[in-house]
Order: sequence, then C-alpha cells, then structure tokens
Amino acid sequence: MCAKVQPAVISAGFCEHASKRSDVNMAELVNEAVEDTITKAGIEWKDIDCVINGNMPAFEGANIPELWMTDHMASKNKPFLRVTTGGTTGGSVTIAGYYAIASGMYETVLAIGFEQQSCGDTSMGLASVALGEFSIMPELGYEYNKIVSNMGAGAAIGIASYQAMSYMRRSRATEEDLARVVVQNRRNAAKNWYTHLKMPTVTIEDVLDTPYISFPLRYGMVCPATDGACAMLFTTEEKARQIADIPVYVNGVGSYSNESAVLAADCAGAGQVDPSEQLGAMKSAEVAYGQAGISFPNKEIDYAEVYAPFPNQELMWVERVGLFEENTAAEAYEQGITALNGELPINCSGGVNSTNAIGASAMERPAEAALQIMGKAGNQVPKTVHTALGHGWGGAVNLITHLVMSDEPQRKFKGGR
Amino acid sequence: MPLDLEKMEGDIFTSKGMVKAEFTFWVGLAMDKFYDGTTDQKFIGTKCSKCGKVFLPPRNRCGDCFAKAEEFVDLPGTATLKNFTITPWKITERRAKKGNKNALVGLVQVDGADSAFMTEILNTTEDKLEEGMKLKVVWAKRIKGHPQDIAGFEPVGGA
Repeated sequence: MCAKVQPAVISAGFCEHASKRSDVNMAELVNEAVEDTITKAGIEWKDIDCVINGNMPAFEGANIPELWMTDHMASKNKPFLRVTTGGTTGGSVTIAGYYAIASGMYETVLAIGFEQQSCGDTSMGLASVALGEFSIMPELGYEYNKIVSNMGAGAAIGIASYQAMSYMRRSRATEEDLARVVVQNRRNAAKNWYTHLKMPTVTIEDVLDTPYISFPLRYGMVCPATDGACAMLFTTEEKARQIADIPVYVNGVGSYSNESAVLAADCAGAGQVDPSEQLGAMKSAEVAYGQAGISFPNKEIDYAEVYAPFPNQELMWVERVGLFEENTAAEAYEQGITALNGELPINCSGGVNSTNAIGASAMERPAEAALQIMGKAGNQVPKTVHTALGHGWGGAVNLITHLVMSDEPQRKFKGGR
Repeated sequence: MPLDLEKMEGDIFTSKGMVKAEFTFWVGLAMDKFYDGTTDQKFIGTKCSKCGKVFLPPRNRCGDCFAKAEEFVDLPGTATLKNFTITPWKITERRAKKGNKNALVGLVQVDGADSAFMTEILNTTEDKLEEGMKLKVVWAKRIKGHPQDIAGFEPVGGA
C-alpha cells in the first residue's frame, strides 16, 4: 500500500472567516480562498488539472453548490469531483487530492473545502446527519422525543459532553484544564489573520465565568459557527521542487471509521460504550505513521493540528494519536509544551475551537500544518518544523482523517523507483 | 418483497414532529451592485479585466479566463431578444394555473453585454416575436432594489 507518485503540497489559502460573510455569496467566498491559494503558489489557473471540492451537506441550504460555483473555483472544463463526509469533509477532500496525485492520474490538483453556515440552518444540517442513527433507535424502544433530548442534550455539544465526561473521568482532567486549552487556542487565533474568535486577553477565569450549556462544557468553551473556505494545491514531487521554495510532501494518510456512530448509543457492532476511547483515531494514526515511516510520533512530529471544536477533544486527540502518553495531555498544556514556543506546539492557528467553517475545518488542519513546514503560517512557530500532522474528526462523529506531512519525501521513494 | 402495510398494522407506529429550517442567501458583491443599479433604474454589469467580456447580471469572475471581473460598467436599457417561448401557464405563489392569455418569456441580451438573462416580454403579441428583435426595459411601478424591479422588456417603438 503505497503511492505510485509522491504527492506534495505547494500552497494553501484561506478566505477571511467570520460568523456572517453577508458581503459575499457562496461562490465569491470560495473564490477568495482559491485565489489566495493560486496566487501564493505563483501558478496559472490553467495549470490545474483537476478540482476536488466538498462541504458538509445541508449546512449551506443549497444542493450541489459546487456546480453553480464552477467558474469561481477555476474548474471550468476540468475533471471535477465532489467529496463529502460530514464534519470530516475537508479531511476527505484533502485525501482525495492526495489520491489523485498518488495514482498518477493528475499532476496538479486543487482541493477546496468551504462552508457558509450563515446561509443554511445548522440544526437542520445536523439532523440530516444524525437521522440515520436516530432512525435505528426506535427499534431499541426509544421514543423520538427522548432520542433528541438524551442524545442531543443541546445539539452537537451533547455528543461532546458525554465524551468530555468519560475523558475527564479517565484522565482526572479538570474544568480548569479544559479552559486552559480554550485560552491557548483563542490567544493563538488572535495572531492568525483569517480566524473568527480572536481573544488576545482571554483568561481561564473568563472562560470559567460563562454558563454551562451541558456539563462540563460552557458557552466560553465551544467553537463558533463560521463562514469560510480553504483550498490546497497538490502536485507531484518533481513539479513541487520546481515551483515551491519548501515543498511539503504528504507521506502518510489515514481515513478510518471505527467508533460506533452517535455516542455509541446503539453500541454498534463492536459494543464500544466509551466515546473517549477512539479506536478509529488510533488506527488511522497508526496507518498514517506507518506509511510515513514514523515509529515514535511523540519524538518525530514537530507540530500538530487536531480537529477539536471542544477543548476536551483536543486533550483526547493528542493522546490518542500518540503525541502524548495517555492521561498526560492536560499536564503538558499546563507546562506550556503545546504553546507557540513550546516543544510540541499544537493548534497554533487557533484551531477549530476558534474558527469552525465545518466543510473547511478538517482541511484547515492539514493546510495549517503544511504552512508551518513551509514557514508561511499566519501564526508561525519559532522553531523549524520538519514533520507535521493534520487531523480531522467528523462524519457521524466517527470518521477520522490523518495526513502526515514532511519536508522530506517518503523514504522508500529515495533513489527512484 | 413489498411491504404489506395492512398486515403490519399495529406493528407500525408513527411519530409526528415539525422541523423548521430557515435558509438565507446572500446575493454577494456583484449582485449587490446590480440591485443598487435597478434602484436608480439602470443596468450595471461587470467587465472581465482580461478578455473584456461584459456580464449582466454581473459576476466578479470571468468563467473563461478566471480573471477578475470587478470593473463595473453602466449598460443601456436596450436589448436584443436571443430566444423565447410562449406558455399558457401562470405560476403563482399558490399553484400553477392556465392564465387568461399566453405569457411571453425570453432570453434577453442587454446591448453591450455578453451574457443574457430570462425575463418577460411585455406589450406585444406572439406573432410579432422574433429572435434578434430590439427591446427596451420596462421598470416596475414601485422600485425597491429587488429582482422584481425589472417588470420585463417591450419592443422598441411599440408593438
């Protein structure tokens, strides 16, 4: 299982993110990110061979939006593909970009993830995703109203609060630890140009001062709903060397779904009941590291972007993907290891916790990780980043995507094949 | 095997609920300017910075060149009929029904523009319609910066 051609990232771009980008329509929003990406790469739009795009279905309130924005994303008369996997859409689109290069089909591929949440109805979008899971529950004897109130417990945060509870029970993390993650993210976001929630002076006390939505998560801890778009340019190793100063090679990808869907409420086939166990994330990381030849992720990875709309998830992911020992993440955050100037900086872009344009979020993770390697990130870490991880979470809360990127091509490619 | 609903009666339960979903769509940079124009009873299009094509309704990106089309140009109220059809059906907010007289609708290209849009053809009869005929805009009685500001187009020089 390896790529025929070594894929590389040569550019990543964003549009300005905000809660309501009412000045532009969806096509113009996407266009901003596409233009940023192409301009930064210094190539012509005609050089792009294939375009892949995706967003979370139903969140934008329009079907097949990718078709009426064809001209706005430079995809006229080019092979075009839409990929959508819910919250992980951005990650799946990115991996589709990787596949398109790795298969040898195309030389230059533009991948785009976007979401204009102010257009659609987010609850409706979520319902359409969760409905598949909801519909099985009457068979188990649940009433519809009970399903919604027990599982939702206030929409998406309901899922996360069960996860937070079980994580906190396992790791002895406190509410203060969660707030510390939020503070780090929001302060980082303040230094990154396109982000949504910029809070340069927020403190742990400020966060703990906001009311609960659903224990242990408070208003001050949750991600916003954002309008935004992100795009990435993939190309082959040879072409990347010609175009980019520092090409970023994608050396490993993982895309696994393992956790039972919503909350393990129907306990799936595997009988998993702990939503913080995350076997899918572990498997996905293991496979991606394996492809990239990484044996000790906690030593070999210099920078990571994980998909964490809620602070407990950030602590959970960095442990599950092998960056920290189990139950030690909260301590690492307290010691500043994950800060901008720390040993292993995490989410210096501000993360999903500060900016969540859903269809774009899981792409912004690998995009930011790639930019950190190139040294072009909005909130660049002071140390040199050689190897970075971009992680995505979503789907029916059970699909995990991973991209391991490096400034060196995959070892097995050395010497040619 | 098809479901035998009668046999299954008693086994099926229905759960009724109501879902309300509200969608908002932003017109965007270019169309916002277009409706500014209709408020003053004039057409504003955009021009491609590379190939010079003029778009009405406006858009900020040229499909052929992927170049910016952010230069706004004023266009006249005269146009050419590019295509048309005739329909007895009238669609209201409630339903589609046959109207008292046929409606004439056509694809209209405003002079100086490269793109065209669909609108009603007013104050003429079916037998007089032909492709390439010259038209001029008829503005609505009440102008409010809205798609319905354009009542339709009528032949230049009357029917």
